[in-house]
Amino acid sequence: MITVENVSKYFNRQTILHDVSFALNEGEILGLLGPNGAGKTTLMRIINQIISADKGHVTFDGNLIQEKHLLEIGYLPEERGLYQSMTVEKQIAYLGRLRGMSSVDVKHQLNYWLDKFDIQAWRKLRIEELSKGMAQKIQFICTVLHAPKVLILDEPFSGFDPLNIELIRQELLEFKKKGHSIIISTHNMNSVEEICDRAVLINKGQKLLEGSIQEIREQNKEGLYKISFTGNMIAFANALWAGYEIIDKEVHSDDTFTVYLKMRKGNEINDLLNAVIDQVKITGIETVLPSMEKVFVKTINAQKEISSE
Amino acid sequence: MERFGNRSFKWLMILGPLLILGLVYLFLSSTTSTKKNWKVLIMDKNEIFDGKLTASRPQNLSFDFINAFVEYDDFAKDEKYKDYDLAVQINEKIVSNKHVIISYKEYPPENIQRHLVYYVERRLEEIMVEQFTDLSVSKFRDIKQSLQFNLKDANDPRNEKSTTASWVGFGFGILIILFVFMFGMTILRSVAREKSNRIVEVLLSSVKARQLLTGKVLGIGFSALIQFTAWVVIIGFGLYVFRLTLFPDMFSAGFVADEIAKEGAQNPLSNQSPFVELIYSQIHYTNMLIFFTLFFLGGYLFYGSFFAMIGASMGSESDGQQFVIPITLLLFLAVLSGYYTVYYPGTILSEWIGFIPFTSPMVMMVELSNGFEDGSAWKLFLSLAILFISAFFMMRIAGRIYKNGILRFNHRLKLNMLLKWTKK
Repeated sequence: MITVENVSKYFNRQTILHDVSFALNEGEILGLLGPNGAGKTTLMRIINQIISADKGHVTFDGNLIQEKHLLEIGYLPEERGLYQSMTVEKQIAYLGRLRGMSSVDVKHQLNYWLDKFDIQAWRKLRIEELSKGMAQKIQFICTVLHAPKVLILDEPFSGFDPLNIELIRQELLEFKKKGHSIIISTHNMNSVEEICDRAVLINKGQKLLEGSIQEIREQNKEGLYKISFTGNMIAFANALWAGYEIIDKEVHSDDTFTVYLKMRKGNEINDLLNAVIDQVKITGIETVLPSMEKVFVKTINAQKEISSE
Repeated sequence: MERFGNRSFKWLMILGPLLILGLVYLFLSSTTSTKKNWKVLIMDKNEIFDGKLTASRPQNLSFDFINAFVEYDDFAKDEKYKDYDLAVQINEKIVSNKHVIISYKEYPPENIQRHLVYYVERRLEEIMVEQFTDLSVSKFRDIKQSLQFNLKDANDPRNEKSTTASWVGFGFGILIILFVFMFGMTILRSVAREKSNRIVEVLLSSVKARQLLTGKVLGIGFSALIQFTAWVVIIGFGLYVFRLTLFPDMFSAGFVADEIAKEGAQNPLSNQSPFVELIYSQIHYTNMLIFFTLFFLGGYLFYGSFFAMIGASMGSESDGQQFVIPITLLLFLAVLSGYYTVYYPGTILSEWIGFIPFTSPMVMMVELSNGFEDGSAWKLFLSLAILFISAFFMMRIAGRIYKNGILRFNHRLKLNMLLKWTKK
């Protein structure tokens, strides 16, 4: 759907983006991750043609992205902005018309979204009369009103309470189901794990990681296993002896435990099972994949260490 | 204290007064200094001055005497007097009536007027002292009555053209400047508001920066024209109603006859009050309105691009406020230019400022109200062309600055930053 190819951007002799490439496929949600100042906003502005790349290019459906493609993109910038003195309906209609919608379509879509979010009562309110969360909802409607093929959302969940986060999350999944593609830039790693299919991690303008969420977590796994059992904890620990390292444990009752451990000396799951199976009753065992948050921190720190060396 | 640390504040603290001094210098130098040699004919029929003037003359003034009165028309048109710029009438009763008429072909600057007054006064003092007193010249100077000098255009001694027409043009010019300032500020506020509430990023994801700016400037310009049209319609209708209802007497034959009777034969040329005549007869509304609209559009686009530049590039509100001052001064300069053109039409400076886009909308309205001589209407169209080309050029620059500056926040605006933004 959208490909970013070898994009670089410089401001005042500083490299903001360096040779960044990735693709957004049809019907997927891509997480664009990175710490503050990594270059995510610049990248999103380049995709939206707000600023131009100094090197490289962006394609939309295989063609170099052009002005006409912008009508097929819905962009929600991190810094939200609405005309404070405009009413909700005028605001939504204005931005809808700006994106090439007919007034009939605008009216129809406006009613659809106001009904869907159960906010018809806000219709005549001015933006300045709304709370931050309410305004965020209007901003979201403005972004999706023209049913764009691609949504580019910078921190779409910020400013929302948990109920509304869930509401927006469901809407995004609905969009995905209908075949729309979405790029989400967020620091909320739980959301990334929950709704993103793939992720791209950038830092200091460089791409550090790209892949499906599962792949990325697999690639970064640390040989950690989680084993749950019923029985004696001391007997379990003695059975492991020196071939395993217990990292953590959870005590559920006097004889029910969950233990996190790492293999040593090339041991594998079968070896672990053989070692403890006579001592305790195993109720579950699984590989523990690192959270996206851990992957994020680990990758950024690793890059820091490399650059400090 | 924060303002004191602001670079633009410091720059403006120095540049602001320098700019004003520059304007004052320009104005004063245009009215006082001239390199031209002014040739003066002193018409002294009774040879009261005896062909002499007292003090040594400055280089740019030369005098000739003639013992006759030359009619204004002859002085203006006769081949014999073509080299003379000014004529001073020394009437036979000057000693008692203290009245001197200076007729001119081109309005003399202040310094030339001062010199003339000085030489005539000094010479008359000598004559008075010689003929009527035993006092010294300096003593006599302390107690004497000053002469009254009256300047008359040799081509229009009855002041039929008068500056009234020029003031009409000046009024229209002021309207242009007022509208440009009002709607220029609207552009600035609108751009700055979209920038500060961040909606501009949403807008830019749908339309190009240049389109957005052009749309904004044209939209506001259109609203300005609508407002102006409303003004024209309401004022026009109001004047018509005044004429029909509130002041019908002013135009009745009886009223005119009464007025003439009251004034005797003092002013037979005018049968209405100058104001009424000005409003209902002198203004060529069609011409003025067409060119007003064109010059307003040109001026608005030209100055509007500056206002847009400021709005887009300012990092904070105080930054923007400070950069409005130079533009306001430029608009003030335009008003000053109009004022200058009213009093000194036809000078080299007034010709030039008619072509400079900063001042041309104002100056050309004054020139237009005075009327162009045959074959010189090209000046009006050249001025318009220069104005629109400059406006187009400035809009392009403003577009670049808008594109580069509109997504920059909380920075300190520097001139080199602006220059850099104009390049890409």
